[in-house]
Amino acid sequence: MGRDKPDVWQGTLSLMILKTLESMGPLHGYGIARRIEQTSGNQLLVNYGTIYPALLKLEQEGAIESDWGVSDNNRRAKFYRLTRAGRKEVERSTREWEQATAILSRFLAPGERS
Amino acid sequence: MRTLRAWLHRLGGSFVSSRRDRDFDDELESHLQLHIADKIRSGMTAAEARREALIALGGVAVTRDRYRDRRGFPVVAHLAQDLRFAARLFRRSPGFTLTAIVTTMLAVGVNVAIFSAFNAAAFRPLQLPDAGRLVAISTRFEGHRRRNVHGAPSLLSLQEFEAVRDQARAFDSLVAFAPFNPVTLGGRDPKQILATAASCGYFAALRVYPALGRDLAASDCVKGAQPVVVISDSLWRSSFSGDPSIVGRIVTLNRTSFLVVGVAPRGFTGTQLVTEDAFVPLSAQPLLDHNWSQVDGTTASWLMVMGHLRDGAAISTARADLDVIAARLSAAARSGNPDLTEHLDASAATMSALPEIRSIVLGVGFTLVAGVGLVLIIACANIANLLLARARARRREIAVRLSLGASRGRLVQQLLTESLVLAALGGAAGFLAASWGTPVLVRYLLAHLPPGSWPMVFDPRPDGRVLAYAIGLTLVTGVAFGLVPAMQTTKDAMLDFKTTTSTDRRSSRRLQSVLITVQVATCLTLLLSAGLLARGLYRANTADPGVAMNGVSVVSYDLANAGYTPAAAQALQARVLERLSTVAGVTSVAETTATPLSDQHSQTDFRLPGSDEVHMIEFSQVTPEFFDLLHIPIAQGRNFLPGEVASEGAVIVSDTTARRLWPGRDPLQQTLILDKVARPVVGVVHDPRISHLGRAGDSYVFLPLGPDSQVRATWLVAGSQPPSPRDLQAAVRAVDPGLAVDVAPLADNLETWRSPSRLAASLAAGLALLALILALTGIFGTVAYAVSRRLREIGIRVAIGAAHADVLRLIVRQGMSPVIIGIGIGLAGAAAAAGLFEAMLFGLSPYDPVSFVLAPLGFFAVALAACYAPARRALRVEPTVALRAE
Repeated sequence: MGRDKPDVWQGTLSLMILKTLESMGPLHGYGIARRIEQTSGNQLLVNYGTIYPALLKLEQEGAIESDWGVSDNNRRAKFYRLTRAGRKEVERSTREWEQATAILSRFLAPGERS
Repeated sequence: MRTLRAWLHRLGGSFVSSRRDRDFDDELESHLQLHIADKIRSGMTAAEARREALIALGGVAVTRDRYRDRRGFPVVAHLAQDLRFAARLFRRSPGFTLTAIVTTMLAVGVNVAIFSAFNAAAFRPLQLPDAGRLVAISTRFEGHRRRNVHGAPSLLSLQEFEAVRDQARAFDSLVAFAPFNPVTLGGRDPKQILATAASCGYFAALRVYPALGRDLAASDCVKGAQPVVVISDSLWRSSFSGDPSIVGRIVTLNRTSFLVVGVAPRGFTGTQLVTEDAFVPLSAQPLLDHNWSQVDGTTASWLMVMGHLRDGAAISTARADLDVIAARLSAAARSGNPDLTEHLDASAATMSALPEIRSIVLGVGFTLVAGVGLVLIIACANIANLLLARARARRREIAVRLSLGASRGRLVQQLLTESLVLAALGGAAGFLAASWGTPVLVRYLLAHLPPGSWPMVFDPRPDGRVLAYAIGLTLVTGVAFGLVPAMQTTKDAMLDFKTTTSTDRRSSRRLQSVLITVQVATCLTLLLSAGLLARGLYRANTADPGVAMNGVSVVSYDLANAGYTPAAAQALQARVLERLSTVAGVTSVAETTATPLSDQHSQTDFRLPGSDEVHMIEFSQVTPEFFDLLHIPIAQGRNFLPGEVASEGAVIVSDTTARRLWPGRDPLQQTLILDKVARPVVGVVHDPRISHLGRAGDSYVFLPLGPDSQVRATWLVAGSQPPSPRDLQAAVRAVDPGLAVDVAPLADNLETWRSPSRLAASLAAGLALLALILALTGIFGTVAYAVSRRLREIGIRVAIGAAHADVLRLIVRQGMSPVIIGIGIGLAGAAAAAGLFEAMLFGLSPYDPVSFVLAPLGFFAVALAACYAPARRALRVEPTVALRAE
């Protein structure tokens, strides 16, 4: 199932999580997964479960931290938020991605010759 | 930085905590609840919503696993898991666990103990500051060379030492020394001590500094300088009561005045096993030993040489230097001897730096290491057997785990972890026991040296090398006893898993039989050796020395080193004899050059008239009173006459000598030629047995001890009641107060024979006991294992009417057959080994029937008992239960 939707690999998933937390503020795992799904316009199939090892990795690296809190509809949930190191990490990764895609797009642009 | 942080987190996360597990379970649950709530809001039923949420998540178990893997390192996590599991298993079967741990502890402990002693003797640098940079230099010749040797051929001559000192660049200091010179320290109570003659700067080169005063300086080493001495701390305390103004005082060594210039630091007693108490300049060597002076003779081997590597130089630098110097020396020596090549070798300075000593120490050391290695092998075989037996109980567990998807590799990893944990616990305990026990044991042995030995220092404390050896040994042990059972068990379990019935596999049974045979053979070899040595020891304690030793005192002193000429000695001895005879209780006095059962007996070459054949025969010189005093009857002929004593021109032979040299002829008609002088045989004594305890039938010749030999004589004094040593000493001192007089009971000489056999017997007995315990546990375990595997078969046999006795016989026979083969091999091994310690058996045959019958029989009996106990268990099982056991 879902062969027509691209897999999300670790590095990009991390960046997506960080970007999501940057724009949405503290959020629980389910919320992050839903948000990524929505933002990608349902283009990316995320097994919601895969979000958790990625969150753990970011937490181990110190980019995010977590705490138990209460959700909008009064449910207990674990909320993740960016740390200062995490913010720097977002900037750095974003820049890298922009550079990478810019370079790649030059290759992919049709008919241009040097 | 980021990676490191994550890495540390993961390492910590590898150790599972249920708190963290619960936390994630909570998070997953909250995730699902949030999702379900959303789905319900969009109109689903609760059940549908839950299903959808689970699918979207991708499975709870899978998510949890992935999460866990990310949390720690899987390998570490598995290890932690295995360790916890192993701990649980061990708690559940404390008997097995304790057996395995104690077995490993004993085996590793004994091995580490032996190795730490071996290491300290052969490999560890000397216990000196910066000893790691000390190098010992020795010489070696290719081609024929005549050269005087004093000590060992690999020692350097003075000329060679000076060449190395002046030409080698790799060293910042070099020292040459000649240890082990017995000298008399004068004073109110003269005593014998050991002195080292050393080149100047001795202490500085070894990086030890006198606690008081100074080192031997260059000015001390000049010929004709005032003789100086640095004394050891213990001599300073014992003989000079720690006098703080000792430096500058005069002491006498061998009646020569020496100026004390320093006191060595506490604990420094030279670089050898035997403790040295005085250090004098090389130029003073002739004063230490009046019989030979090496300082002027340039070619004799007599100096140990050590160098301290300069900064940046390695031992290879030193070797390159030495090669160049050796080539120059060879070239100089080659005139007239073109085949001669001299080599100079460098090796790390250890307690056995001298090549001659090193080869002995390595030989003995590796033999011992191999011997205790046998014990380790028995122990491994043993634990492997126990593990195999235990694995029977776990086959079901393992089969279940296989069927649940565990890989065989993962299971082997787990089983190996278990055995490594056992080995590690036992190995650690063994290492601790050995580190504590070996020094205690060595201290005890050194405190109980045979009388007359020089004091020794030997510190077998383990160092890093011993620790590494212990760790390596433990790992090898753990893998050795764990791997085979782990492979076998998982293989069996895989079969179980496929076939659902368990069969006793032939290969594993054969493996066990071989293990048992090896154990039994090794154990019996050790047992028999111990038995022989113990019987030898008993004999040493009860053997008739053949002479009356009780109540006889030995009075000895060194006249040659005290400066006596033969003529002066003769005069002195005559006056001493007068004095000794008047000491209260003394009934007779005799002189000899070798007291009975001492190590002073020497051999020399006798010839018969009209023949060139040389007969090497042990001999000593004695006065006529010797035979009466020791109750040695003269069987034929007569004692020496005064004229023969004066000229030393007659011999008395033992009857064995007479039989060998002149079979069927009258010995009293014969003559023996020594030093080109024909000496008539005047008497024959019956087998005196005075040179080796318990050995009869050796040739022996007595020569008269005349005036010319007085300088070498030792007194034997017998009395109706033993004369007091103080009186005897006073009698000699009255004539010459400067002599170091040693008075000891003659019976002390027996100790010299008994203590090595006591040591060997206790060592062998300890090892044999260890091996016996191990082998019996092994037999017990194997039979128990066999019984547990064959429950079903036994059940069938009993069900169809086999008598209990038949079943019992079947099991015992199977258990005993490898034992019997092992006994056979062990007997052969012991017979081969027995020849090695014939010298310690004191006339007992190395194939002593008592030992060779009793030991195997006894062993057979206990092995049978070890077999019988578990075999009986099989019979107590109800046939129906046994059948259901599958």
